[in-house]
Amino acid sequence: MTELLRTEGLAKRFAGLVANEDIDFRLEAGTIRCVIGPNGAGKTTFISMISGHLSPTEGRIFYKGRDVTPLSVVKRARVGIARKFQTPTVFDNLTAYQNVELAVLGTSCPSHKRRQRIFEVLDLIRLSELWDMPVQFLSHGQRQWLEVGLLIGVEAELLLLDEPTAGMTAEETGSTAKLVQRLARDYRLSVIIIEHDINFIRDLRAPVTVLHLGRVLREGSFDEVAADEQVREVYLGQDAG
Amino acid sequence: MTVDADKRFPAAGRITWRDIGASETGVAVVVLAIFALLPMVVSGYPIYILPQYMLFGMMAMSLGLMWGFVGILSFGQAGFFALGAYTMGLAMHTNWGINPAYVGLLLSLVVGGTLAAVVGYFLFSAGVRATYFVLVTLALSIMVEQVAVSQSEITGGWNGMFIDRMSLTFGPLGDVPLFDDAPAYYAVLPVVALSYVLLRWLVSARFGKILAGIRENEDRMTALGYNISVHKTRAFALSGAIACFAGALYGTHANFVAPSLGGVLFSTEVVVWVAIGGRHSLLGALLGGILVASLSNYLSTVTPEYWQLVLGLIFIAVIVFFKGGVAGAVAQLPRLWRTGRQP
Repeated sequence: MTELLRTEGLAKRFAGLVANEDIDFRLEAGTIRCVIGPNGAGKTTFISMISGHLSPTEGRIFYKGRDVTPLSVVKRARVGIARKFQTPTVFDNLTAYQNVELAVLGTSCPSHKRRQRIFEVLDLIRLSELWDMPVQFLSHGQRQWLEVGLLIGVEAELLLLDEPTAGMTAEETGSTAKLVQRLARDYRLSVIIIEHDINFIRDLRAPVTVLHLGRVLREGSFDEVAADEQVREVYLGQDAG
Repeated sequence: MTVDADKRFPAAGRITWRDIGASETGVAVVVLAIFALLPMVVSGYPIYILPQYMLFGMMAMSLGLMWGFVGILSFGQAGFFALGAYTMGLAMHTNWGINPAYVGLLLSLVVGGTLAAVVGYFLFSAGVRATYFVLVTLALSIMVEQVAVSQSEITGGWNGMFIDRMSLTFGPLGDVPLFDDAPAYYAVLPVVALSYVLLRWLVSARFGKILAGIRENEDRMTALGYNISVHKTRAFALSGAIACFAGALYGTHANFVAPSLGGVLFSTEVVVWVAIGGRHSLLGALLGGILVASLSNYLSTVTPEYWQLVLGLIFIAVIVFFKGGVAGAVAQLPRLWRTGRQP
């Protein structure tokens, strides 16, 4: 398998407060990785450094073998790294169609194929029936999906999803897991997911990286991680008892 | 995709970008037709003065582009307008073997576009927020006015500068002087109409869609890989070029330019026109410029003491009751009518 993303000794400190420290992370192309950890473990900081929204205090980020550490958010988005924010960040006053259109306009998709492409994406995120609806009227879960759709529309190869199932019903959470699996399997996209929902992570059946106090505590399959004494102590203990 | 999008969503082929636009085109055609036929029934002063108000409307559109479509208010449009008039005045003295008025028009595009691009580039790439942009563009107006006053050897200072009426030259096909009101009217009208059509096309094209995305959510656009400062700079350069070009035509039509044309007072008036006309509609901005300027002119003769007060009250009423201006209110009429009819 080919490596898509690698971080070496990645650290972020805010005036003495350690948010991330010495993170060596590796992600293969076309795979899913869950990043979990208790509140304040540095998950969002980690994703923000990969997306370029924060620059690391130390360490380097390699994407497809290229050092992307100095690149801005815009440039990282152009090389294929796209992020979904913790709260749905979409174009509220525009329709679902227009939202995805803005993503597709950022690609080399020729204008005569654009509409078909937009509906492909809308189909994938189950919003094609609601294409003409201003997205402020969509449910929270649908808006979360729409934002994932924007990342697909802009043809990102590495999707950074910050709590994609927050505020979703159990059923929506289940179909989100299927969507993410489908993106990795059928579209060869790589996905890093920050999540709190243990059921969602179990459904994904993807490798898990546990962060604790800004460091990588454990990495492995869900079952391995769930069985780990230390992990249970700092995190899972609260939920999985 | 198994089913063709066209068959499932027949309307999707036509409606790709929802704005006031769809209903606007019909109104625009009627309005432009009225303006085209007006000189056949009216003559004298209105036909003399209307082209100047149309050029005000063109400047108002340049503001509408920034304010309504990018979400950035500029108080500098009159500065660009005056700059265009001065450019025209100076260019009229050139003798480069081509029609000096053409030199002036071309230069005004270059001067206005370049100045706006430079100012915009530095402000937008520094991430200056909308509020500070207002202040800087306000300062830009003041600077144009001050430079016009201080460089009196070139600009005539407080006395202003006289500018000849231009002639249209068509090479071997001959010349059309625009000294009379009707030819001048019919020279200005198509320019204004064309700028409207061009802007309408641009805001519905990729250019305008990206601007709307920036207006709606800058963070999202950045995270999608759009360099928003580049797009904003482009929009402002276009806006400055249009305002400057309109000013150049105004200068030659009015035969005169004075420093106050670029000043803060006039810049504020432009903002009032666009707010009343409707900043989300280019036609609203255009008609706002033409009609409010006409109304000001009329009121100032009827009631010289109170006309600005009347205008101010209209402005406040529009801002309080219709945030989208007259165009925004008109665009909502069919929707209200439709919902009213529902059982």
